[in-house]
Amino acid sequence: MSDERTLLTEVAAGLFRDLCTPEDVVAAEATGWSEPLWRALTEAHFPYVSVPETAGGSGGDVADACALLSVAGRYAAPVPLAEAGLLGGWALAAAGLPLPAGPVSVGVGRPRDVVELTGSPGSWRLTARLHRVPWGRRSTRVVVLAAVGGERYVVSAPTSSAQATPGRNLAAEPRDTLSWNGAAVSDDSVAPAPPGVDADQLRLRGALGRAALISGALARVAELTVRYTDERHQFGRPISRFQAVQAHLVHIAEEAQLAGMASTVAALNAAPDPSFFDVAAAKTVAGEAATGAAAAAHQAHGAIGMTKEYELGQLSRRLWSWRDEFGSERYWSRELGRRLAEAGADELWPRISTGLVSA
Amino acid sequence: MQFGPTTLSPAEESLRREVREFLAAELPPDHRPGLGMAARHDPDFSRKLAARGWVGMAIPPEYGGRGRTAVDRFIVTEELLAAGAPIGAHFVADRQTGPALLHYGTEQQRRTFLPAISAGDCYFSLGMSEPDSGSDLASVRTRASRVEGGWTVTGTKVWTSLAHLNHFFAVLCRTSPVEDGNRHAGLSQLIVDLHAPGVTVSPIPYLDGSHHFNEVALEDVFVPDERVLGEIGSGWRQVTSELAYERSGPDRWLSTFTVLREFLREGPGKAVSDEEATVVGRLAARYWAIRQLSLAVARALDAGAAPAVEAALVKEVGTRFEQEVVEVLRTCAETEVDADSGSLFHALLAEAVLTGPSFTLRGGTTEILRSVAAKGLST
Ligand SMILES: Cc1cc2nc3c(=O)[nH]c(=O)nc-3n(C[C@H](O)[C@H](O)[C@H](O)COP(=O)(O)OP(=O)(O)OC[C@H]3O[C@@H](n4cnc5c(N)ncnc54)[C@H](O)[C@@H]3O)c2cc1C
Repeated sequence: MSDERTLLTEVAAGLFRDLCTPEDVVAAEATGWSEPLWRALTEAHFPYVSVPETAGGSGGDVADACALLSVAGRYAAPVPLAEAGLLGGWALAAAGLPLPAGPVSVGVGRPRDVVELTGSPGSWRLTARLHRVPWGRRSTRVVVLAAVGGERYVVSAPTSSAQATPGRNLAAEPRDTLSWNGAAVSDDSVAPAPPGVDADQLRLRGALGRAALISGALARVAELTVRYTDERHQFGRPISRFQAVQAHLVHIAEEAQLAGMASTVAALNAAPDPSFFDVAAAKTVAGEAATGAAAAAHQAHGAIGMTKEYELGQLSRRLWSWRDEFGSERYWSRELGRRLAEAGADELWPRISTGLVSA
Repeated sequence: MQFGPTTLSPAEESLRREVREFLAAELPPDHRPGLGMAARHDPDFSRKLAARGWVGMAIPPEYGGRGRTAVDRFIVTEELLAAGAPIGAHFVADRQTGPALLHYGTEQQRRTFLPAISAGDCYFSLGMSEPDSGSDLASVRTRASRVEGGWTVTGTKVWTSLAHLNHFFAVLCRTSPVEDGNRHAGLSQLIVDLHAPGVTVSPIPYLDGSHHFNEVALEDVFVPDERVLGEIGSGWRQVTSELAYERSGPDRWLSTFTVLREFLREGPGKAVSDEEATVVGRLAARYWAIRQLSLAVARALDAGAAPAVEAALVKEVGTRFEQEVVEVLRTCAETEVDADSGSLFHALLAEAVLTGPSFTLRGGTTEILRSVAAKGLST
């Protein structure tokens, strides 16, 4: 890791350690929000990491944003950090729209979503229904893509004019349905979408962000399980001495390392945008890792792992949600397999053997 | 634990291109790929490869090798394995015995063996397992007694891969009895000529009917002092570090790659079904990720680290994955496996089904690797 990135993650880890303890995470579940944590992150300029400074962001690149997300995942941080920089902030900056001071989320175009932008400069109106928007009701703005005639637009939709139906994922993180019904949208909230700012790229960024969160959470799950199985004694010895338990530890370590490697390489390869193969592979690997490692960690923990208070549950419930968000491992492996089949058998090895290309 | 993502330098990328060009030129169009290190034993191919400088890469030039890095060797190895190239003759000497001789051998042994190994001319087998000693290697009963000018060895080695085709094998044996319960002391390694008087190599038919395994009976075989590998009494330390070399390379996750490639070629083509696409995509994603962990270990070795736990994890996950590839593709192809149908996919699938169980046994079983890795994780 570059020195700057190491510094970034160290500062972030300190901040989360203070303001995102397991107790804080439990407390935030009731409201789906931690105001002190978000305020501290904003003061540290973390939400807009990877958004260019010229556009009002904090600078840095996709790999910086993902390194930060991996720390956030480790602490189960109940805040829309991925949505802010990698997704919403990126699209707003690319379109030349202002970055809101409050949290920003994004609608990536789910199958049942509807987005209709009508009018023209001076009289824009938005009618839309977006499902499962991460922290939708807590966000100031939600970034969506819309088409008017043949033109594509980036819209920074104000949530103040939206109706929100609360929803949540398995970890009680808000995933809300938002509707706008002919709401007026100001001119500084609509701009033509530049080439490359499209639904595919938003989805790739969303999936990469989730892979980074997963890899951070898995690193913590691995640590917790090693520690717990060393401390817990049964039959007169630490349970980590039993080979059957060791098999769980090894499995968790492998999956955590695979997810970490895959998401890190996908992030480092982004130049400047993440690529299809890297993200599809990383989300596939991370999703599978989340499934396998969460199961093994719960098995190794016994009943304590099934309590609301113990840290493992905060991580495993996020892993079970994040693996599905922005495309499950099945979705990404299917898309990846289609492209590989199209490229043909002889292209398979060259593709697999292209790992990290830029450091 | 540390697996650092690593990128290949332009020189390393160009090495990869050279190997690909070499393989395209050397392998005939009807080349029948082999499964990983079990590919064909082909001295001609080994010598041609050596002529390009791709055998004995880890050996310094003063001993006839090329003094290349672990990553360079990784690149050459993964290209050979992905092509199913016939590497069976030199593979063990190149991966294992060469480096062991370099580290523990006498100057004279290095001068004798290393140039021949690097030329692709001298092939080794491994003489560790015995009828009553598998995972518990320290229990070997083959023993060597001191005689004028050397040792005489008596005992029986089993599962000795390719002993009927190779020149020598490195025999782990007891040179002094167990004292004070310290089973790891008193073990030594001797280099035994597989054609020496008193050595009897007999086939043990392999599950698929091929001749891979042998029993090697040693009856008062004379081994001169200059064929003692390393120090008398250090055998245990030597073989356990030898196991570390062989743990995490591409031979631990690529053995069944050609099955996937041929599935893609013969099976779905562009009209791929959802299920087929999902299977191919998932396997490719995992290959990609496992490869980078394995490469990270090679890079760490070049940096002077000793990534023993990392290597054990890569082998444990990689060899299980090699087996999984086979079962996933078999399920997806939904067909009776027919080795004689003329389909390369079927032929490879049949071989992979029949020999697949060995992936998680050879070179240390999954269960033993887990114990090694788990101990490292807890400390
Ligand atoms: C294809 C192939 C090629 C081989 N080539 C060679 C060769 O060239 N030279 C050579 O010397 N050997 C060779 N071997 C042998 C190989 O090294 C052994 O198979 C391996 O070390 C395991 O020993 P074993 O087969 O006696 O099994 P065992 O050690 O008897 O093990 C049987 C089962 O018990 C388990 N087990 C044993 N001990 C423990 C424990 N402490 N904890 C948990 N589980 C345990 C094992 O994991 C395994 O599941 C080869 C094997 C194969 C399959």
